[in-house]
Amino acid sequence: MPVFTDRNVAIELFGDLWSKMVDETEFGKKVREENLSVQFICSDPDVTMYVDGDGPLFDDETQGKNPTVVMKMSSDTAHLYWLKKLNVPKALALRQIKAKGPVGKILQLMPLLRPGQALYPEYCRKYGIPTE
Amino acid sequence: MDYFDLNTNLTDEDIALRDAARQFAEKEMRPVARQLDLLSADAAVAEDSPLWPFLKKAYSLGYHKILLPEYYGGLGSSALQTSLIFEELAWGSFGLALLTTVVCFPFYLICITNEEHLIEQFVVPFCECTDGSIRGCWGITEPGHGSDHVNMGEAFFSSPKLKGDVRAKLDGDEYVINGQKSAWVSGGTIATHTMLHVQLDPSKGFAGNGICILPLDLPGVSRGKPLEKIGQRDLNQGEIFFDDVRIPKEWMFVDPDFYVPMIDMILNAANLSMANWSVGLSRAAFDEAFTYAQERIQGLSPIIDHFTTKQRLFTMFTRVEAARAYVRAAMELNLNISPPHVEYSIAAKTLGTDWAFENANEAIQLLGGNGLTREYLPEKLFRDARAAMIEDGNNEMLRQHGGHVLKENYPRGPLDF
Ligand SMILES: Cc1cc2nc3c(=O)[nH]c(=O)nc-3n(C[C@H](O)[C@H](O)[C@H](O)COP(=O)(O)OP(=O)(O)OC[C@H]3O[C@@H](n4cnc5c(N)ncnc54)[C@H](O)[C@@H]3O)c2cc1C
Repeated sequence: MPVFTDRNVAIELFGDLWSKMVDETEFGKKVREENLSVQFICSDPDVTMYVDGDGPLFDDETQGKNPTVVMKMSSDTAHLYWLKKLNVPKALALRQIKAKGPVGKILQLMPLLRPGQALYPEYCRKYGIPTE
Repeated sequence: MDYFDLNTNLTDEDIALRDAARQFAEKEMRPVARQLDLLSADAAVAEDSPLWPFLKKAYSLGYHKILLPEYYGGLGSSALQTSLIFEELAWGSFGLALLTTVVCFPFYLICITNEEHLIEQFVVPFCECTDGSIRGCWGITEPGHGSDHVNMGEAFFSSPKLKGDVRAKLDGDEYVINGQKSAWVSGGTIATHTMLHVQLDPSKGFAGNGICILPLDLPGVSRGKPLEKIGQRDLNQGEIFFDDVRIPKEWMFVDPDFYVPMIDMILNAANLSMANWSVGLSRAAFDEAFTYAQERIQGLSPIIDHFTTKQRLFTMFTRVEAARAYVRAAMELNLNISPPHVEYSIAAKTLGTDWAFENANEAIQLLGGNGLTREYLPEKLFRDARAAMIEDGNNEMLRQHGGHVLKENYPRGPLDF
């Protein structure tokens, strides 16, 4: 069974998390400075999120956006990623994550997402998502 | 010599990067490459070798970190910019272009691990290095196994009979490494770190391999003599030996679980680089032939005025242009998707190096007797191009692997993003 059984919970959790990251962490400052944007296309449940320096957008709101980097993965893989339990090169090599966008920008994005990884367990607890 | 770029949309920044690389290639690389080519392999890496001031200059300009992301202090250049720079550098010298890039290989691979401690410990200092004192190399080939390492699609690759020459065993929190890499490790005689392929689980053959970062000043590491060879003599090579070398287990950042697909990702970056350098070498050969054909008088006129010379030069020109267009397209694709469609990178490397060799060969023929002498560049280009068809995978073995990838994936669907 997928970790997120209700896609609305995923949208709420990530809406909260991205907003915090954009407004209050180094992530927001950097993506604004460097004009970066990222789109996560998650499956099972299907949730598409787009984030830039202005904050997150979901599903239909993301239409017409032209993100610097697109990452495609299952919602479970995304969950492991945010929990820092995913070996990223392994996931890329095994096609558990597919990415589109300049490799240099993808590599650049990884460390920028770390503040979110630090916050994620707290948000999981808040929304009742298991972390073990 | 300048060339008209089929891409008429280069930005001012693209052009500035290309021109700076061209100047560096002409003023710094060509003269040093010539000197190193004439030295013995030992002298080429000796303390008083012109290699050292060259490396210092290359690092001070950031050419060692072209492939690394800006965030850690790399140049963060786009796929097109990387192509433009690599072509110019290899126009200056294939061997030195390779050396200034292979030094980043271990650090490039660590970047995708996203492991903070490895990045802080290894990548950041490398990016900050401006004096050439931190130098990586890629230790894959072994005395008993060359092509075997790139034949991931074949059944023997996972046979327990395939015994690696470098093995690592876990002992508590450390790996203990024993064995030997072959004399072909580029930059191996002078490297401070290696990206080392080791056999972890012999029951799976090479599918049981892993990759670690290994500083080469650890107890138990020793080196062989620099290798004498026909071409790319400006790029040193030598064996590396491991005798009970101990590393923390976290330094083994690729394990057997994803070793095979990871090799494709490494091959992708390496083959694309080789492909771009081949275009630079092809162009250098064309430039030499074109200039000579305007100056050399036979039959009472410059040989360029003769019908067959025009044909021959035009064929050389076509190879440069076609290779550049294809290599850039493959680069644009495979530096913008992960995992890459590796067959396009293999095609770029094999086609690029074959054509570079043909151009260098034709340049010699066009220069007649002079083409065979050290007075003229084509003789060196020919030797350098010859090595490139074996380097980074024998071309026929790469084609075999490319064919395997096709068998598994052709036709690929559109990118589903
Ligand atoms: C200039 C240069 C730089 C290099 N730099 C590096 C480096 O930085 N690091 C590193 O580790 N290595 C490096 N190499 C090594 C290079 O990758 C190997 O030389 C290459 O993979 C071929 O291996 P080999 O020389 O052992 O030839 P072999 O594998 O022994 O091949 C010999 C011949 O047998 C053929 N052959 C092999 N296997 C098969 C098969 N299964 N079926 C049919 N035919 C087969 C090959 O096509 C070839 O013609 C470099 C090589 C060169 C020339």
